[in-house]
Amino acid sequence: MPVAAGTVSAILAAPFEKNAEDRSRASEEAALIRTAQKGDQDAFERLVRTYDQSVLRLAMNLLRSPDEARDVYQEAFLKVYRNLHLFRFDCSFHTWLYRIVTNVCLDHLRRRKVRKEESTVVDTPEGPVDQITRLAEEGPAADPERQTWNRELSEGITTALEGLTPRERTVFELRHYEGLRLRAIGEILGTSEEAAKNCLFRATQKMRSSLETFV
Amino acid sequence: MKCHEVIDQFSLYSYGEVSGEAEERIESHLAACAECARAFAKHRGFFEILNRREEPNESALLTECRMDFRRHLTAQTAAPSHGSWLSRLFDLSQFHIPMRIPAGAMALFALGWFAARYTPEKFLGMEAGLVQPMFSNVQSVQSGAPGKVQIAVDEVQRRVVTGSLDEPRIQQLLLDAVREESNPGVRVESIGILRNSADSEQVRGALIDALSHDPNAGVRLKALEGLKQYAGEPAVRQTLANVLLRDDNPGVRVQAIDLLTAHHDDSIVGVLQDVMQKEDDGYIRTRTRDLLETMKASVGTY
Repeated sequence: MPVAAGTVSAILAAPFEKNAEDRSRASEEAALIRTAQKGDQDAFERLVRTYDQSVLRLAMNLLRSPDEARDVYQEAFLKVYRNLHLFRFDCSFHTWLYRIVTNVCLDHLRRRKVRKEESTVVDTPEGPVDQITRLAEEGPAADPERQTWNRELSEGITTALEGLTPRERTVFELRHYEGLRLRAIGEILGTSEEAAKNCLFRATQKMRSSLETFV
Repeated sequence: MKCHEVIDQFSLYSYGEVSGEAEERIESHLAACAECARAFAKHRGFFEILNRREEPNESALLTECRMDFRRHLTAQTAAPSHGSWLSRLFDLSQFHIPMRIPAGAMALFALGWFAARYTPEKFLGMEAGLVQPMFSNVQSVQSGAPGKVQIAVDEVQRRVVTGSLDEPRIQQLLLDAVREESNPGVRVESIGILRNSADSEQVRGALIDALSHDPNAGVRLKALEGLKQYAGEPAVRQTLANVLLRDDNPGVRVQAIDLLTAHHDDSIVGVLQDVMQKEDDGYIRTRTRDLLETMKASVGTY
């Protein structure tokens, strides 16, 4: 099919425009960080708003507990606030922030291991329900059949995730659900790409064997 | 590639986390082996299941978190801080210059006098001075008997520690500094000092660790310099070979190939051949080719 000349030039220009857009976004973010480092509260809040939704989602998915996710949000961003002056741009702000967030989440997961795994499944008059699934299903238009299937699957995934070590769970969440590359995960967790790869391998093997009945 | 090897690679292959060469081998195996192709289809089914996980709707919680955080932040900034102490000190600097000089001299004298009395500690035999508390962090608050409260506070204080390089405690502090996450400047300085003590196995281990894992290229280069004289040792050579294959900084890879070529060693032929397949940097390719030719090993790809 013939393509109009304007379309071709638009296709050719697209990657450059995307790069230019990325660069401009990165430089805007760097300016925002510098302003926040000088003590500008508004700049700091804007920085928080850029990332806080993904931070909260990661915490919810890792911990499967809204209360703990809320604690992680507060703890992580207060650490960012107190230590922002130490950020020296030698890695991306995203990596630096995720390093803090995953460390806080790992602390929660490890503490939970010590006081025996705290299940996110709670007893209700309608039977046991995963707190996260319940949160997701509170919308009025939920289809009952779909709800049941989703609940079973979510509980299956939650049980499978509970069988992983805190580190395996974090690597799996970051790679599978957040879509980060293993190299970036290694940087966030302060380990090598190879170690992250081994961790991911073990995690998927365990998940696969736990979820065999759903496959 | 055998069936069980291919099956083992399914998850990493699905994430696109295997090398291009392994990817090709897996794909050609899947095209030829019906049983593995079926197993892979099942694996994709497993991935699909994972992707159908119910994602939480966090919007209501997010609003609550933002409001809570704003309250926390306001409480933090309202509390007296070093910032406000410093700003008050800065206000004093607005004095007329002739007044500031004697006032400054008096202040320094007073500071020295108090410091001499309030910093008598010896830090495990070394001279150490307590400068000032850096920050405190409330970890928990519990109400106790009526009118009483128990607060757990983590306090961080800065000490200036002076000692000679051969003192174990100084070496330990430098080794800790090499792992200081937030400040690459401290890591570079510490490695710069420690590299003169690389004959210690512990120091050499720290240098190898920094070269392999530090996210900052400047730190990795400094560690590489420290390992120069040990480039003939197997553990160091193995690290250099890994760096050559995996480090994303061409400057670090150039240094690694230069060190590897200084010692002829047939055990790295495989690594060098891998480098020839993956490396984009012209200088590194040339050095690698020269080295392979010197070793009478094949330069071609397999």
